[in-house]
Amino acid sequence: MKRIGLVLVMMLLAVSAASAQQVRIGGHGGTDTVILEEMIELFIRPALEGTGITVQYEPIADDFQRYIVNALSAGTAPDLFYLDSFWAGSVMRSGTVEPLNAYLEKSTVLRGEDIVRSLLDAFTIDGQIYGIPKDFNTLAVFYNKDLFDYAGVEYPSNDDNWDTFYEKLAAVAAIDPDIYGLALPPEYARFGALAHAAGFTPFDENGATDLFDPAFVDAFRWYTEMGLEGVGVMPADISQGWGGGALASEQVAAALEGAWILGSLRDEAPNMQYGATLLPKHPQTGQRGNIIYTVAWGMNANSPHKDAAFRVLELLTSEEVQQWILERGLAIPSRVALADNPYFTQDNVEAQSNYTVFLGASDGNVLPFSFGVYGGDWMQPIDQALSAVLSKQVGWEEALREAQTRLDAVMQR
Amino acid sequence: MAGMYRLRARRWTNVAAIYGFLLLLSIVFMGPFVFAFLSSLKDNPTEWPPSLLVNQLKPSNWAAAFNLAKQGGGNGFTGGFGPHGEIYFEATYWTAQGQEPAPPEVVVARRVQGGAALALRVEHYAADYTEVRDVHQVDQEPHEGGLLTTYGFTLVNTSDLHFDTVPMDLTVPMRQQFVSGTLTPNRIERLGRAQSWDNVSSGLFPYVLANYARVFRENYSVSTGKKLFGLWIRNSFFLAATRVLTTLIFASMAGYVLARLKFWGKGAIFGLLLFSMMVPQQVTFISNYLVLRDGIFGLSRLFGVPTLLNTYGGLIISGLVGASSVFIMKQFFERLPASLEESARIDGASTYTVFFRIMLPLAKPPLGALTILTFQGVWNEFFWPLVVITSPQDKYPLTLGLLTLQRTYGAASFDWGPILAGTFISALPVLILFVVFQQYFVEGISFSGNKE
Repeated sequence: MKRIGLVLVMMLLAVSAASAQQVRIGGHGGTDTVILEEMIELFIRPALEGTGITVQYEPIADDFQRYIVNALSAGTAPDLFYLDSFWAGSVMRSGTVEPLNAYLEKSTVLRGEDIVRSLLDAFTIDGQIYGIPKDFNTLAVFYNKDLFDYAGVEYPSNDDNWDTFYEKLAAVAAIDPDIYGLALPPEYARFGALAHAAGFTPFDENGATDLFDPAFVDAFRWYTEMGLEGVGVMPADISQGWGGGALASEQVAAALEGAWILGSLRDEAPNMQYGATLLPKHPQTGQRGNIIYTVAWGMNANSPHKDAAFRVLELLTSEEVQQWILERGLAIPSRVALADNPYFTQDNVEAQSNYTVFLGASDGNVLPFSFGVYGGDWMQPIDQALSAVLSKQVGWEEALREAQTRLDAVMQR
Repeated sequence: MAGMYRLRARRWTNVAAIYGFLLLLSIVFMGPFVFAFLSSLKDNPTEWPPSLLVNQLKPSNWAAAFNLAKQGGGNGFTGGFGPHGEIYFEATYWTAQGQEPAPPEVVVARRVQGGAALALRVEHYAADYTEVRDVHQVDQEPHEGGLLTTYGFTLVNTSDLHFDTVPMDLTVPMRQQFVSGTLTPNRIERLGRAQSWDNVSSGLFPYVLANYARVFRENYSVSTGKKLFGLWIRNSFFLAATRVLTTLIFASMAGYVLARLKFWGKGAIFGLLLFSMMVPQQVTFISNYLVLRDGIFGLSRLFGVPTLLNTYGGLIISGLVGASSVFIMKQFFERLPASLEESARIDGASTYTVFFRIMLPLAKPPLGALTILTFQGVWNEFFWPLVVITSPQDKYPLTLGLLTLQRTYGAASFDWGPILAGTFISALPVLILFVVFQQYFVEGISFSGNKE
């Protein structure tokens, strides 16, 4: 009996030693799988030859946030995984994500300064860096040139402020009752960029949120009045799910979206003559606003081989890999050095749109799409207020009062 | 006489009411299926208001899709644009009086459906090797206060390559209206100026079942190069078949033992069995997960497997047999007359002989019912595989595959066609199973008193 036990223990040891150097990477399923597997095949595997490190991508088809929180708790999380600024706040504070400062200091190829500052900030708490941003997106105005031509109006441009932008949109909307100027999704995820332009920040120095901040009210009224005047429309009202769908349907002339719209336009409206320009400036502040959406690579604090994982992380965010990603129009890279990439000056609309989105990250009041520990719960009351006003259920004041009450409840939890 | 007539009339009104009610029910239940199928054929499945006139179901388009592919040197049914193939295409436009009709600008587009990532592996585009030749006016006639003008042109494949898809766009000046083309365009854009086709050499089947073809064609694994959708269907069949097999074996044996043999603790075991049926899955799945993670308390390490997570072994072992299946079999065996068994015992048969030679052959009806119920259960099982199986995608059962489709098409580009097609395919086996084995389904339900 004793001998059997001994054999058992020895077998256990042998097995755990054999699987020592496999680095598991967890990310989204779907399109990301194809990109990541191709990337690993082309860059990561060749670079790791002879080191004994192997890499495996584990696509998660389900909701990724739910998966990673569960997997980190169960101890089955991959060694490296996506960390979205939107929900990273609570995960980073849980102690299950490895701080990377020590690794960055030792590294010869990856330092904090290599990455765009505002992106890195989204993953930094008290000086500790928990994630290396892999790419990002911001919002831009995507517009349908045909509709502007038809109305005989100038295209939106980088010189526009809210007033001139509104005038152009109103002129397009005047063509036909079924045609609108701007898609107005009732979401902070879009509207927030305008609030930022007016000078609003989600949290003041005391960590509180004031929806009656004049800047917020200004943006809120501009956005909702556009809908009430018939210049803009909620995508749902023209049976579309989002701004990109509304733009593709040719019923709206412009939409505030990120570079993710490109792939869908390619499929849904391949012949659309569209352009992209920076968001309009606020007439008084003279500033633009924007929201940064970014995803980083985080490391599992309980990973059995962290050094190998960091080696892979270095490769995943290397200049070579990011350039490949950029040149295929898949995403906008996070490395400072790639700002001057010749790709951005190419004479095609996708490259130029990507460049506009890239510029959006550093022009005006730009804040990451993240609301600390509150996560998406913080936005919900505002989204409901936008929806209620745009669908003419209540006036703006009442809607904001209601939203403020709900928001306070969320923040006291 | 009059009374009898009245009686008969009342009987007929009753019959009519019942039939009417059944008809209504079948419309209510079948309606969504028919609607989903029609939508899965459309270019824009979410079009609103939905129309029942689907381009893909027009015979004229069938003939055109077949002919175009045939001309292009491909197979008329499966499509393709072969080496040096030529496709002749016509399009008709209407112009109001005073506007000079202009020939369309023809472009073979350099695009791939399904997002940028899917384009990574495309080596050759038809756009780079196709020449548009001889755009000419074929016909012109007055029509409704204007002119109807038909233009014809030829697409020529100048290479030795074979292309699966030839996307094409025609653009005309503003206010020149498109009336018809050899094949109905997949979409009209730019306020009517641009007509766009996803594939003019698709062939008959990929034209009619475009979204279905996309599901099979566009989803492949980069690491193994295999097409995923077929693989997912195979995986689901494999898992379902295995589970059916283990369920049949273990449920019938356990059911027989509990029904017929006498031994100490039988009541307790049966009680535990019943108890396990009462505990909802949500309560046990975390502990089950941890058991699989540690390889059933380290047992699996004896076979060199450190964990049963992400393995079929884990899925199969955790689902060898369900308590309800044992219960169904026990109920059945209890109802069989004891004399059958006793006579065999007198002839000197052992318990095994009795079970395999006498009881099992009699148990065909409940085994049939179990087969169907189990197959259907595993085929549709989503939550547990989602928890256990993570990567690679080649391992997914179909239910997880559908979730992947949603990520690939839904989240990235709101492209619902392939998702709808995928779900429809996944519904087919159970639908067929139900139609073929209706009788067993009913029996299965009457055996168990509930369905699964």
